[in-house]
Amino acid sequence: MSFQEKNIAVSLGSFTLILLIYVIRLLQIFQDGMLEPVSVFRLWGLIIVLSIIFTIIASILTHIISTIIQVIKTGEQEPKIEDIKDERDELIDLKGTKIAYLISSIGGFLAMLTFVIGQPPIIMFSLFILFGLIAQIIGDLSRMILYRKGI
Amino acid sequence: MGKCRVSNNIRKLRFYNDEMTQQELAEQVGVTRQTIVAIEKAKYSPSLELAFRIALVFDSSVAEVFSYDLDDKK
Repeated sequence: MSFQEKNIAVSLGSFTLILLIYVIRLLQIFQDGMLEPVSVFRLWGLIIVLSIIFTIIASILTHIISTIIQVIKTGEQEPKIEDIKDERDELIDLKGTKIAYLISSIGGFLAMLTFVIGQPPIIMFSLFILFGLIAQIIGDLSRMILYRKGI
Repeated sequence: MGKCRVSNNIRKLRFYNDEMTQQELAEQVGVTRQTIVAIEKAKYSPSLELAFRIALVFDSSVAEVFSYDLDDKK
């Protein structure tokens, strides 16, 4: 597994965890009947902050774990980590981003549709974040598939 | 139009060039070893620039390294 693949795997894990936290918290808000802008926007803030923190931590952890694995494998004191992004990595990244944008756009459309059919705006805002997270996960999954199956 | 495939002789050319490793070739052309692996397995068609750089390493023409097959099977 290449460095880029490890990075994607860690990102996939992080965003799946964030999605779980979001869905559980959103269901709790629904059950408590607290579907108000304040609680939903607080959850938005939490999810955005978590996404940033998880992405930074995941990137650092991938570097550290890759270095440790390389040291164990080769016995070198300063091992070379192939963290460069070449044309294949860029192409796979672009394709993954394209799929993520597509899912995100469909989600945005569906979210706005709920507003059109008379649902409160807070439902629309909740769906925006939900589809944003799903888009990120599907984007990462498609990148993994492209690395494994080839372009 | 059928499925297009770009095949290559990189494995053979590496063997004839003092059994050059995939890592050595990757370093010379400026990509990761995984990209060389993907090209050899025909899982990735390189850009024209990368194809030229690979051909230059082996002191060959692009046509000697890569070939284009048109598969018309449906």
